[in-house]
Amino acid sequence: MLEIMPDWLLSWFSDDSLEMIDYLTNGKHLTWYASVRYTLFAAVLSALFAIGFGLIGAALKQSGFFLFRWIGNFYTAIVRGIPDILFILFFPLAIEQGVEYFIARSKCTAEQIATSVNWPPCEAAQWFLTTNDYLLMACLSLGLVYGAFVANVIYGALQAVPKGQLEAASAYGFNQKQIFWKFKIRQMWAYALPGLSNIWMLLIKATAFLSLLQVTDIVYWAGLLGTANYFPSAGMVHPNWNFQYYFVLFVFYILLTMVSEKFFNMLQAKASRGMSVVER
Amino acid sequence: MKKIILPVALALSVLTTPVMADKIRIATEGAYAPWNFLDDDGKLAGFEIDLGNALCAEAKLDCEFKANEWDSIIPNLIAGNYNAIMAGMSITAERQKKILFSNEYYPVNKSKLATESGTKVDVDNIKGMKIGVQGATVQADWLEKNLGADNTIKSYEKSDQTVAALYGGEVDIVLAGDGAYDEVIAASKGKLVFVGPGYDIGGGIGIGMLKTNTELAGKFNAAIATLKANGTVDTLIKKYFKKGPFYSVTMDSLKDKISALSARVDALEKK
Amino acid sequence: MIDAIMNSAIIQEIILLAKPALFNAYFALASIPIGFPFAIFLALGKFSTNKWISLPARAFIYAFRGSPLFIQFFMFYALMLSLNKVLWKPWGIDEWVLHPLFIGPFVLILNTGAYAAEIFYGALRTIPKGEVEAAKAMGMSKSQVFKTVTWPNMLRLSWPAYTNEMVFLFHSTSLVYFTLPVINEQKDLMNKAGELFEKDYNIYLHFGVAGLYFLIASLIIFYLSELMRRRLNRHLA
Repeated sequence: MLEIMPDWLLSWFSDDSLEMIDYLTNGKHLTWYASVRYTLFAAVLSALFAIGFGLIGAALKQSGFFLFRWIGNFYTAIVRGIPDILFILFFPLAIEQGVEYFIARSKCTAEQIATSVNWPPCEAAQWFLTTNDYLLMACLSLGLVYGAFVANVIYGALQAVPKGQLEAASAYGFNQKQIFWKFKIRQMWAYALPGLSNIWMLLIKATAFLSLLQVTDIVYWAGLLGTANYFPSAGMVHPNWNFQYYFVLFVFYILLTMVSEKFFNMLQAKASRGMSVVER
Repeated sequence: MKKIILPVALALSVLTTPVMADKIRIATEGAYAPWNFLDDDGKLAGFEIDLGNALCAEAKLDCEFKANEWDSIIPNLIAGNYNAIMAGMSITAERQKKILFSNEYYPVNKSKLATESGTKVDVDNIKGMKIGVQGATVQADWLEKNLGADNTIKSYEKSDQTVAALYGGEVDIVLAGDGAYDEVIAASKGKLVFVGPGYDIGGGIGIGMLKTNTELAGKFNAAIATLKANGTVDTLIKKYFKKGPFYSVTMDSLKDKISALSARVDALEKK
Repeated sequence: MIDAIMNSAIIQEIILLAKPALFNAYFALASIPIGFPFAIFLALGKFSTNKWISLPARAFIYAFRGSPLFIQFFMFYALMLSLNKVLWKPWGIDEWVLHPLFIGPFVLILNTGAYAAEIFYGALRTIPKGEVEAAKAMGMSKSQVFKTVTWPNMLRLSWPAYTNEMVFLFHSTSLVYFTLPVINEQKDLMNKAGELFEKDYNIYLHFGVAGLYFLIASLIIFYLSELMRRRLNRHLA
């Protein structure tokens, strides 16, 4: 950074602050700043997964067939009763072991499967996962967890759409399919938005767990950079700066929440145009 | 509905295609200087990175290092996220139940206690102290067994955190394997000191691999033997640890000991 | 027969995780009784017309609801550690200030305080104005109005949401040992399940049973809270 700064700019700063600028723009720190992309990517992708699972969950919950209804209710209840962190650690490993189980059945000998103490029973069944795979898995887990919350919200919102509107549509001669997609689903979003906004807030906070799945996200780097360095050849020697680095994350997440809030307020204003019901 | 299911299905199909490993992936912690750490550019560096690359060049393997947190480094090897571990990991009987080790590439050396200068430590009878250590290490196991009854053992995720806790006064003493605290104590300008003679905990340091992966272990062992013989390992130890133990020097010191002994025998015989 | 059941892997696991479960229970039980009054004060603060009281309360609630608990744990532990030599040691309280059994509930109280305060604040805003006016008209003092109208109404209106918050709080206790040092064998459910998992890689057994404990705890909270809700609503029946 200092190399590309013009001399007149350099002369503005004291030596100490120049050293600080140099430190804050070294490769380690640039990698840290860039790792925000994992957090944002995971938040967006998980949200899409969550909406997908949420729609499936809501469809199951209001299904006429008791088994589907039962599955839908079980899905939303179990996620409410168990911490998200458990699911987030559980799903990627469980999916991995599950896939390896199927590969093992075809690729390993019966003897290997019966006697091996390690998992998977033979090398051929080993499923190698890269960091990006883990990121995808993490998003899938977050999607499954928050999908249950979304299912509840969408289920509630579907119930909230005034029956009169649908009857009116029917009177105008729309068929059942049209009524469902063009009226019920479309109106539903306006009722679901406040709930969805809350889930999004929970979701962005849950992205802090990515580091537990070996994704080198902002939390991972903040931990690494803040830890005291007493080894001159590993860079600037400094005491424990964990508090400073975590405080930056603390502020970062608050700002992310603020921006999201603004965005959802805008969306809400748009979605509820012409609707007197949701205005408060 | 189709629109939503499609990306899910796509992602799943991407996920379920097993990636065949032609590259040898080596995991390291990246937070255990001078063994392995992240340099200012955010890249992995250290004794084990240099040694690993030299070993791979010798064995004609295409290698790649990746960072993984210490406490999940063995589970993730077994889960298949990488093929080998080089992370200052001692060869122990406990770990050998789970994974296969190459021959050592760094000799057995003493683990040492460090403390703030001025703290009184009765090394032969440590009682009522708070002792910091990195979790899931041979040192942590040893402390639990030997000093756990009379002291409070605090385990941390990273080695550096033990030093931070010592500086911050959260613990009275810290224990770590060889080399981990040397530079720290040198840089502390007398604030931190080693106490006691040190303990023999764990074996030498080796490369961890899957139990089934004897082929890779064979390649690594051959390369380790070559690099030990041609002095590459010693050069790297010198570069990163400044001092021994060296493989060649260990032989010399043995000879010294033998000659000293024979001198004593001679003297005795003369009597 | 009984031996066979007792020796089954699941029962063994349940026994093994019983002690760790007590740690989660401790964190929740230590946080709720202090977090509750703290949240009430914050909510009343946010509701206050005095901006010197309202603004700090608003900021606190916003900050702690807007950031991950995971980060809050890391941050407060780092802060406590950096103050150790200047404050805690000289005062002679370093022994327990830095102990996870203290910092754990401390951070949980701050966090649940903010979340619950928002819930109570929401309830305060929806208390029927008529009831308050009526009480005032009857000549009640401010504290009497609070005791007879505001307080019971607020509690009744916010109870379902506060129940959810207590369940979330119990779940949050699983984060304590992800962020704080582990002392001797003091481990909670997630920590112990993770440790057991690293021995035999049976994720279904260890995480399954840990999940079971959380599920049962959640059901107990829901049950107790339902009893409380009935008490709060008995005049409406």
